[in-house]
Amino acid sequence: MRRLAVTFVLFSLMVISTTSCTGVRQINQLAIVAAVGLDLGEKPGTIRLSAQIIRPADARGQTGAPSGGTGQPIYSVSAEGKTIFEAIRNLGRFTSRRVYWAHNFLIVMHEDYARKGINDMVDFFTRNHELRMSTWVAVTPNRPDEVIATITGLEVVPGEAVDRLFSNNHIVGQAPASNMMNLEETHLNATTQSLLARLQLVPRGISNKKPEEHGSIKQVELAGSAAFHDDKMVGWLTTKETRGVLFFLERLDNGIEVVSCPEGDEKISLEFHNARLKVEPFYRQSKPQFNITLKTDADIVESGCNSTLTGKKHEITQKLEQQLKQRVESAVDKAKQYHTDILKLGEIFHNKYPQEWRTLGPRWDTIFSELEPTIQVKASIKSTVVKVMGTKVK
Amino acid sequence: MLPPLPAGIARIIAVIIAVSLPGYTNSGGEIGVMTGVAADTRQIAEENAKIAAEVQEMLKQPLKQMLKDNRADIDHIMGSSVDFQKRDFMLCGSADRPGICCYVDGLVDTVIVESILKALIVFGGELHHEPDKLPSAEDIRARLMINASVKPCLKLGEGITAVMSGDTLVLIEGFDEGILVSTKGWKDRGVEEPASENNVRGPRDGFSESIRTNTAHVRRRIRDPQLRIDGMVIGTRSKTDINIAYIADLVKIGLVDEVKQRLGRIKIDAILESGYVEEMIEDAPFSPFNTIQSTERPDKVASALLEGRVAIFIDNTPVVLVVPSFFWQFIQAPDDYYHRYWVGTFFRFVRYCAFMISLVLPSIYVMLVSFHHEMIPTSLALTIASGREVVPFPVLLEALLMEFAFELMREAGLRMPKPIGQAVSIVGSLIIGQAAVQAGLVSPFMVIVVAITGISSFAIPSYSSSLALRIFRFPLLIASGLFGLLGFATVFFALLLHALSIRSFGESYLAPASPFSRTAQRDMVLRLPMWMMDYRPEFAQDSVRSGEHLMPEPDKGNGNGKGNGKDGSQ
Amino acid sequence: MTNKIYISQGMLVAMIVNIIYVKAIGVTQGTLARAVGQDMWIATLLGILQGAVMIYATYLVVRAMPERDFIGIGEALLGRWFGILIALIFIVFFIAAFGPVMITFVYHLKDYFLPEAPLWMFIVAALLVGSLGCFYGLEVMGRIALVGMAFIFMLNLLITIGSTHEFDIRNLLPVFESGVKRTAAASLHYDADCALAIMLAALVLPIVKDVGKKGSRAAVMGIVVSGISVIMWAILESAVLSADVTSQYTVSCMKLARNAHIGDFLQRYEMIMIALYSLSALFQVMFCIYGTAEGAARLFGLKNNKWTIIPSSIVLGFFGYWVIEDHFRAIDYLEHYWPFIAVPIAFGMPLLMLGLSIMVGKKPDVSAAASK
Repeated sequence: MRRLAVTFVLFSLMVISTTSCTGVRQINQLAIVAAVGLDLGEKPGTIRLSAQIIRPADARGQTGAPSGGTGQPIYSVSAEGKTIFEAIRNLGRFTSRRVYWAHNFLIVMHEDYARKGINDMVDFFTRNHELRMSTWVAVTPNRPDEVIATITGLEVVPGEAVDRLFSNNHIVGQAPASNMMNLEETHLNATTQSLLARLQLVPRGISNKKPEEHGSIKQVELAGSAAFHDDKMVGWLTTKETRGVLFFLERLDNGIEVVSCPEGDEKISLEFHNARLKVEPFYRQSKPQFNITLKTDADIVESGCNSTLTGKKHEITQKLEQQLKQRVESAVDKAKQYHTDILKLGEIFHNKYPQEWRTLGPRWDTIFSELEPTIQVKASIKSTVVKVMGTKVK
Repeated sequence: MLPPLPAGIARIIAVIIAVSLPGYTNSGGEIGVMTGVAADTRQIAEENAKIAAEVQEMLKQPLKQMLKDNRADIDHIMGSSVDFQKRDFMLCGSADRPGICCYVDGLVDTVIVESILKALIVFGGELHHEPDKLPSAEDIRARLMINASVKPCLKLGEGITAVMSGDTLVLIEGFDEGILVSTKGWKDRGVEEPASENNVRGPRDGFSESIRTNTAHVRRRIRDPQLRIDGMVIGTRSKTDINIAYIADLVKIGLVDEVKQRLGRIKIDAILESGYVEEMIEDAPFSPFNTIQSTERPDKVASALLEGRVAIFIDNTPVVLVVPSFFWQFIQAPDDYYHRYWVGTFFRFVRYCAFMISLVLPSIYVMLVSFHHEMIPTSLALTIASGREVVPFPVLLEALLMEFAFELMREAGLRMPKPIGQAVSIVGSLIIGQAAVQAGLVSPFMVIVVAITGISSFAIPSYSSSLALRIFRFPLLIASGLFGLLGFATVFFALLLHALSIRSFGESYLAPASPFSRTAQRDMVLRLPMWMMDYRPEFAQDSVRSGEHLMPEPDKGNGNGKGNGKDGSQ
Repeated sequence: MTNKIYISQGMLVAMIVNIIYVKAIGVTQGTLARAVGQDMWIATLLGILQGAVMIYATYLVVRAMPERDFIGIGEALLGRWFGILIALIFIVFFIAAFGPVMITFVYHLKDYFLPEAPLWMFIVAALLVGSLGCFYGLEVMGRIALVGMAFIFMLNLLITIGSTHEFDIRNLLPVFESGVKRTAAASLHYDADCALAIMLAALVLPIVKDVGKKGSRAAVMGIVVSGISVIMWAILESAVLSADVTSQYTVSCMKLARNAHIGDFLQRYEMIMIALYSLSALFQVMFCIYGTAEGAARLFGLKNNKWTIIPSSIVLGFFGYWVIEDHFRAIDYLEHYWPFIAVPIAFGMPLLMLGLSIMVGKKPDVSAAASK
């Protein structure tokens, strides 16, 4: 027994001495990537991958012993390759540390890349065990390497800035919060198509040193979305259409709509909340039908009207309903125009009519673009927030 | 001059010479000094052994009638120890009945010895006793002596042992028995606060080195006649008193016999501390876990006895052993019970956290930073990475270095004389905390991790089991530094398996968590109110501890705010 | 130490839960998703029912002779050669079972946490802990199973907290899309998990306290409790990930764990979950070693299985290495061989024994048959 124990100990010592530290990578030997850009390479058939790497010493200030810094919190590089994996390996030629993807906040694809197909992207970023599934995914009409390298005023690391943009997205509600998790799900689903957020650079930043040259600094903006069919991008959706789509994806339950006053051209801002969109599928004359109902509550949060709003509630409600209906309609129209079911209508139909789906399913794209859903909006204004009804009663 | 011989042969020759020439002693001479010494010591040892055998033989003999013989025997046995005193006297002042009073100076209270002498010499005369009218030792004991504890002694060995433990042996010409008077009275440390187990609320008295004082502490707390204290002597030379305390109608059935049997197995020359006994009777001798609780607090011992456990008192040490003991007890403190239960439960929760932290925190940190970076929240990862930017060591080495430095500081602070101990902590915290970070040797994060780990390990009330945790921390740390999650999980669960397999005097070490006992949960992680803890542990004979409906329910009927029962009676 | 050790009813429940849970949430759900899509939870449910019935049958066999396990009963019924045969079957079963067990354990840890570590390291580590547990004996194994069950509850709680915000009931619909027949056929994969529990019960039931009176309750309860904790994952996996995604992965539960996050700060905590999970995984390894060692000990007529633990571990280690070394072989073995080894053995043996004991006709069997 004792000899056995000794053998065990010796054996385990041997194990330790031969295999110790396999896969050990100290955290300070890693190049932590905060954002990735994907673009088509210069040579045809190649991919250009750009990565925004955090330099911890400068991104975090002095936490330990003095470690020299250039003052730049990020280090952006790009490399090309025939596949994403090859491009990443090529990054290793000039990054002195191992490129590490686990803390990636954002994947930005260029429009052209997205139009050629994103199969490889989805596969790569879900196959790697390091990567987190909450990474945001977006499409941009600008150069992706420029988008990821643009430093915003508030955050030290640009990737983090976009991360915050996405997490506060629900306030604006004009782009889908598309992350890897959702993308993978919709990408693998045969009927539902993917919808990714749109990032673009806009000259909106105001230089502190030269405020007179307003808008001289480019900033990253999150607005609109890109619709996909299977793995290929088919077109853009404007912010307004995107809002319509978001109702379908159950990702938007509040937002701001601006309608004009009952009298005059002044505007009223309405904040709607508890928005619930209900889709009811029917099957009549071997054709699928959908009833779409949007129910929402709303508050008046700003009123520039010249007259009091007392007694005008009904009118305002109707205007809001009209506007929301238009949003939903425009979303449906755009989806139909692109022949892509980003609204998850197919899935809803499938769930209710599994038998009928067997025949309809394969032709869903064509059926979808011929759908004429009926859209109803029911809004009710519940409060005028703090004030009684209107301001500035003359 | 003989030619130099190989050492082995030289020694053999020396032995032969030494044996063949009895008179040959330490002359050195031609033969090498070393071999001469070897031969000498050997011879001396043989002689000593012979004398010791003679003494052993003598000790077994009964006392003789002639004082002269007894005195010669005692001289032979005791040799010329200066602290051994033989005081001559004449019984009732008459010259034909001489006697001696044997005692060890320093162990006895001289006032009591004087009272013996007074009784023997003076009282006899005052009461007009003639020595001849006191024909036996029994008569002397009954009619002359005024001391509280007096008993006859027939054997020489018995008498000597008693003298060695502070009694006085009175031998008188013509009696073949002696009189043993209890005269114990040595300098005692007195009752002080226990050094290693402090508390805020609760009794401050701690055990001291005297076994009788210690048992008295417990006896004062439990006045139940069922509280039994059985005696035992262990140690062929030290002859240390061991007392086994238990409450006869509560103690787990068979436990006392088991304890006695295990204690009886011990064959050792001396017991200098309870640690000797602990290592000889524990269940898991190879395990770093301590399966026997040791405490300096009488209240802890009393509560253990009331739970049906057994306490082992050992003379000359303030540390008392309690069996069986459970792992969770080491995380519980008496304060839990003395403060109100909300506070007690909260403290306990804090301590369980401390236990987990002190066991796994460095391992988890090392594992995360060297293997599983993706698990660290991004902002935290950046902070850690920026702190480690200039650190030259791998994390595992850094952790080991810091842990070692910490252990060093702890040990130095403990061994240093108290006034200097402060200096150690100042130097340690300044050098290791501040300068090492500034020098870029360690990352600030590691300092925090090690410091929190250290503080946590101090928060565990039982010092000895926090040592066990400290030992376990290192394999865990090394395994997770070398193999990441695999190493951590493997070692942690091997540890868990080991802990689950241990028993302490027949009880599972991790009870009542495993095997799970529902009633005992009232006093494990939680400390439920006193009025809800109405059961003893399951192994106790009588498990019901308190009456029912003990929750205080002041009379709410009066409704005037001050109307409880007490007010109403006034 | 006395030879007669007893484990409590709770320990039996815990052992069954541990031995089913790990593989069932890890790899079985992916297999089921590939077979029947979003109906995987229904397939699991069917599997639970079948498992419960079979474990009851096992209990009936043991109840007739509550002092003996299956090997002993075999000996009692048809003589020593039959006992040897059954011991052989046990050995074969547990060696075969070690494949899926190792697939679960290694692919969780290696693919997601330590992709660069050598494969044999995982096997050696698992075997070391496993054989240590076996040396300590069944009682300690039972106790660690209890701890494992506590961990399983924590794990389920964590995953529920982390993924309910992504819960989409639409992913669960429509029900029975692949048809009842296919779903029932797919439940075979879950049956294979239950098979482990049945074989465990066949070995362990005799030393459970009061097996004659309450053994059935504990055994069936074990299947049901494990079923509940597994079905939670099945539902979460198909609702949160959708069946399409689940079917893509070898280890589908890791996919769910990777998706889970608590708030914005704790983006990933699958390491905590895996740390909890690996206890159950190691318990499986431990029991495979125990089963093989016990079978071998009985085969050679040894009183104690202490001496067969090491050889069994080595055999298992080599087999496990062979299976998991190639992912394709592993998946092939898992989906096309293992259920057809496990289910016939584990479902056939209790029925055979039940039939035999009725035919051979010993006194207590009458009551067993009557109660059926």
